[in-house]
Amino acid sequence: MALKYTWGQRDPDSFQMTAAIRNLRENPRFLFTRLPNILSFLCIVIGVAWLLLLPLDDNSRRTYISENALLPGQVHAYFTGSEQNIFRGYKQELQTLLNEDRETEDQEAEVEVTPAASNKVHSILQAAGLKVATQKYEYTSAGITHQGENIYGIIHAPRGDATEAIVLVAAWKTADDELNLKGVTLALTLARYFKRWSLWSKDIIFLFTPDSKTGTQAWIDAYHDLHPESVQPLPLKSGALQGAVVIEYPFEHHFQKLHIVYDGVNGQLPNLDLFNTAVAIAGGQMGIGANLQEMWEHNDSYEARLQTMMRGMTKQGLGYATGAHSSFMPYHIDAITLQPKGEGWEDEMALGRTIESMCRSLNNLLEHLHQSFFFYLLMHSNRFVSIGTYLPSAMLIAGNFTIMAIALWMRTGYYPESKPDTPAGEKSKSEKSSKTGAQKIEKAVKVNETALPERLMALPLTLVTGLHLLGLVPLWTFNNIFHQYFTTATYIFVVVDIVLPLFLAALLSNGLGVSKPIIPQQYLLIKSFALLLLGLSLSTLATLNFSLSFMIGLLCAPLSFIGRLQGPAALRYGISTLGLVLLNLLSPPIVLLGVCWYTGVSVETVLTQAAFGWDVWGMWTQVVVWCVWWPAWLIGCVQLGSSIF
Amino acid sequence: MTTFGFLSLLLALAVTLWSSYASASSDYHEQLFLQPLPQSSLLASFNFRSNTSQQAFDNQHFRYFPRALGQILQHAHTKELHLRFTTGRWDAESWGPRPWGGSKEGGTGVELWAWIDAPDDDEAFGKWIALTQSLSGLFCASLNFVDSTRTTRPVVSFEPTGDHQDVDGLHLLHGTLPGEVVCTENLTPFLKLLPCKGKAGISTLFDGHKLFDAAWQSMSVDMRPICTSDGDCVVQIEQTIDMVLDVERSKRPRSNPIPRPLSNELLACDTSKPYNSEDTCFPLEKGADAAWSISEVFGRTLTGVCPLTGSDGTQEHSVCLRVPHEKQVFITEGSTEIKKEDGFTRCFDPAPVQPFDLSIPEQTVDIPVPREEPILYAERTIVGHGQERGGMRIIFGNPSNTTAVDFILFESLPWFLRPYIHTLQATITGRDGIPTEIAASDLVTSTFYRPAIDRERGTQLEIALSVPAASTVTLTYDFEKAILRYTEYPPDANRGFNVAPAVIRILNVENSAPVYIRSTSLLLPLPTPDFSMPYNVIILTSTVIALAFGTVFNILVRRVVSVDEAAALGAQSLKGRLLGKLVAIRDRFRSKETKVE
Repeated sequence: MALKYTWGQRDPDSFQMTAAIRNLRENPRFLFTRLPNILSFLCIVIGVAWLLLLPLDDNSRRTYISENALLPGQVHAYFTGSEQNIFRGYKQELQTLLNEDRETEDQEAEVEVTPAASNKVHSILQAAGLKVATQKYEYTSAGITHQGENIYGIIHAPRGDATEAIVLVAAWKTADDELNLKGVTLALTLARYFKRWSLWSKDIIFLFTPDSKTGTQAWIDAYHDLHPESVQPLPLKSGALQGAVVIEYPFEHHFQKLHIVYDGVNGQLPNLDLFNTAVAIAGGQMGIGANLQEMWEHNDSYEARLQTMMRGMTKQGLGYATGAHSSFMPYHIDAITLQPKGEGWEDEMALGRTIESMCRSLNNLLEHLHQSFFFYLLMHSNRFVSIGTYLPSAMLIAGNFTIMAIALWMRTGYYPESKPDTPAGEKSKSEKSSKTGAQKIEKAVKVNETALPERLMALPLTLVTGLHLLGLVPLWTFNNIFHQYFTTATYIFVVVDIVLPLFLAALLSNGLGVSKPIIPQQYLLIKSFALLLLGLSLSTLATLNFSLSFMIGLLCAPLSFIGRLQGPAALRYGISTLGLVLLNLLSPPIVLLGVCWYTGVSVETVLTQAAFGWDVWGMWTQVVVWCVWWPAWLIGCVQLGSSIF
Repeated sequence: MTTFGFLSLLLALAVTLWSSYASASSDYHEQLFLQPLPQSSLLASFNFRSNTSQQAFDNQHFRYFPRALGQILQHAHTKELHLRFTTGRWDAESWGPRPWGGSKEGGTGVELWAWIDAPDDDEAFGKWIALTQSLSGLFCASLNFVDSTRTTRPVVSFEPTGDHQDVDGLHLLHGTLPGEVVCTENLTPFLKLLPCKGKAGISTLFDGHKLFDAAWQSMSVDMRPICTSDGDCVVQIEQTIDMVLDVERSKRPRSNPIPRPLSNELLACDTSKPYNSEDTCFPLEKGADAAWSISEVFGRTLTGVCPLTGSDGTQEHSVCLRVPHEKQVFITEGSTEIKKEDGFTRCFDPAPVQPFDLSIPEQTVDIPVPREEPILYAERTIVGHGQERGGMRIIFGNPSNTTAVDFILFESLPWFLRPYIHTLQATITGRDGIPTEIAASDLVTSTFYRPAIDRERGTQLEIALSVPAASTVTLTYDFEKAILRYTEYPPDANRGFNVAPAVIRILNVENSAPVYIRSTSLLLPLPTPDFSMPYNVIILTSTVIALAFGTVFNILVRRVVSVDEAAALGAQSLKGRLLGKLVAIRDRFRSKETKVE
């Protein structure tokens, strides 16, 4: 009925609506200056609020096993009884060898594996009937050399044809740099135990790496023949890898809960089914609770969920490897680390049974894990949000830059101030136009429509492109200099970040000495292009690494609202100086220093880790920082700085 | 009594006549060869061979030759046939060279090649399709999926093993199904081809549960004509089953197949360790070969001898065992043991009707059976990652310190794997472990390459190579993955596409028997659309259509009327009118009755 009515005769509401639209069109100052600001601000506020609403019951979902073939916890695990005697035997053997070697070669490296222990692993695997091979590797990053030797053994699937495989990894040094003696021993015992079973449909590879950072990376690269020169190729291979589980057990006492680590390099995540399987087996079958994101006490409240999600987002955003499993993710191999935590009643055999049950589940797979989500945020061991629900948050924040960029672009071709006039004349005109009646403005607009000002784009385009390319300089520097210079380089960059915008602003205001002085339209165009690129990059990034896009988006949020200031000189100087100081607090190096100060980690450690990530893991967080964030920030500073000159 | 005596006499006569005829024109042999292998494995090699004269074969006088197969071969004009069913992989590093020099073995899955008599290629292909379709039915295998994309015509990799009069008129066709799972449904038809059909002789040992629990097993059927110099031809059919059993696994009783942890007392521990105690045990891996017997490993005993076994004087024993002569072997009473001169082989003749068993207790001997080294090691894997491109890496290892190995590498690749032959590269690694990159042309002596045509035929690549002594050659080439149409994906769970194993034929072997090696098959992941999405869409639209159709149909067909209208409506039809009349008549009678009362 209402529809009919609207069509038939216009109601007062629709009249009001048209009137409002007409008013808007007749008020370009509001349309091009105020409205974009309001929209952009709303985007940011809604984006942040959206994220904060995610942990609510209505916005998140309970996890579930999507892949039917996995059947977690449906099999009886037989890893008990006398297998524990063998576990103790292997452990004693390795412990003795480690102690002997330590005595002979000083006690400099407590957690390093010794060659004798390494050889023992080799011989135990061989005695258990596995095909064993070794691989030496060496990486150099930031002047530090990392080298080691991987040992791996393959159980051939009894009736298999070497087309698929599962990997079990035990690193001698855990992700927290502890000696993983019991983890290695457990893997050895499992290798001997698994060999007896004939039900494996996939090969099982047992990989022993000297540490959790380099070993798996070298191995997985070589497995796909994509390794650098300094890494040896693998002499022995199997089929396509379907999944990987990393075993850690770096202490002597019994444990209470399992901590599941799942973050990969560059924020890639394993299929949610793998995580769910681990939770279902640990919790449902074995009666061991599962933790994630170092949330030891999780009461499933809003705060706890939000905190878990934020920790996950921080790790995802920074994009570093959180354990030996992380290196598998870029090759589309789903992997997790199982870490026993706390003091309780569960012993190594319970962990062994969990792993046995996981291997049985993975063994059931008919296809590569693909059913469940690859993009998700976990907030509890059985609660998550998927990409469809959380993505709008980062997209809105990225969208605010695009809205502003489009508005600025339109403003340069529409608003009277874009006319190549002197700033003073333009200002008075704009003031006048806002004061005078609607008719007069209509006239002015008509005049403008007939003679649209030409956009002078050469300088803005060159400047924006140039500054983005300039980002390659810090990118190269922070990835290639020696680690002892990292702190100095950071401080140098703080200074550069203060000086460079002012220098550029002065240069632009004085016309670079060669051309005519830069006009206001060009300032707007520079800002428009910079924001356009930022919005484009961040919205693309949001689909790949949501958290990184969100963090950078928030840090860049002020850039939408700052520009060249006008007004009395004293006020201008004051505000722009204050603005520059505040903006400098948000510059990449200062943010880095601030975070380091807050967390108590040295700048050198963080940057060494970052350079290592770039060199070894293929981490590209730095690219986003130096080629997306830094240029956008720099242009914002130049805009603000130009008010001074 | 007399009738029985007469019958038995007749039977005896028939048997005598028949056996004399058999020895003249056809014969049948079967042999089981057992060889313990390292890592407590046992190689069991079954061989069944029979000859039929060409004349009898042509006249469809099938005696030992299975009629079902014979008629198929005649219908498809197949002169020589080789069919292989294989699962698992041969572990050359531990087990040494393959049985029969690899010539009775196929790649993983099913492999078939045949020489077909036809005037031209098209007709040969037509007959080949007829052959694969018929064999598919006979062996319960998906051989009917060997279409033009899976058929190749190898040029140098295979040569006929039989004696053919007109070799030029024969066409060799070769097809593989690497994804085929070989199982009991293939074993049953295989056994039915045997003259004794698994009822007597060595074929009684075939138990699907044990055979398909083997670490590696291969079934083969070979048919070929053999001619003597004076022109007498026989058609020979040879069936073999080779398998490697894990002794420990096979010995587990069927009632308790789960390898539970042993009880503490049964653990073999290294007592020399200082920490050895009741709850700590460093396991002692067994030095001696495990004890086994035929009844334990195969789950049953050998029942007698197949009575059709040839009596043409050749000394072939039905069971042979390759262990050192010092080793103690116990056999069932009534059977005879013959030790061969080489010091490692002994053969047994089981008694005709008794069950035969053979057992070897656990023992260590001073002189083990000499371990032979394979002529060549080969390994093939897919490298690289991603949905678009990949690479193939083939490693050849020559263990010999003195002689180079010449061989032919035969690859038949599916069309959706497009190799870039120009990227063919070779790396040679000596014993010192330093790799040197060399031009592939330095190793490759000749190449035969037939590029693929999309959806019509696959790539065929035959490369003649030579690997120098004491070195390892790594051959690599890149390939591109094609994007399939969504209907081209098989309806099964999508684990990837199987790429057929490479066949390697070794050339410089002195004796006449050809030596073959097959690599493992490969799994090629292709870009896969999200199949569940169309599925969901179909389900949703179907539901919507069903609902809409149901409602609309109901509205169109059903008429909603009140109760009194319904009676009137019913009255209009013929049936209604008739019913109305009947009711009226009945009412009349009833009213009369009531009146009477």
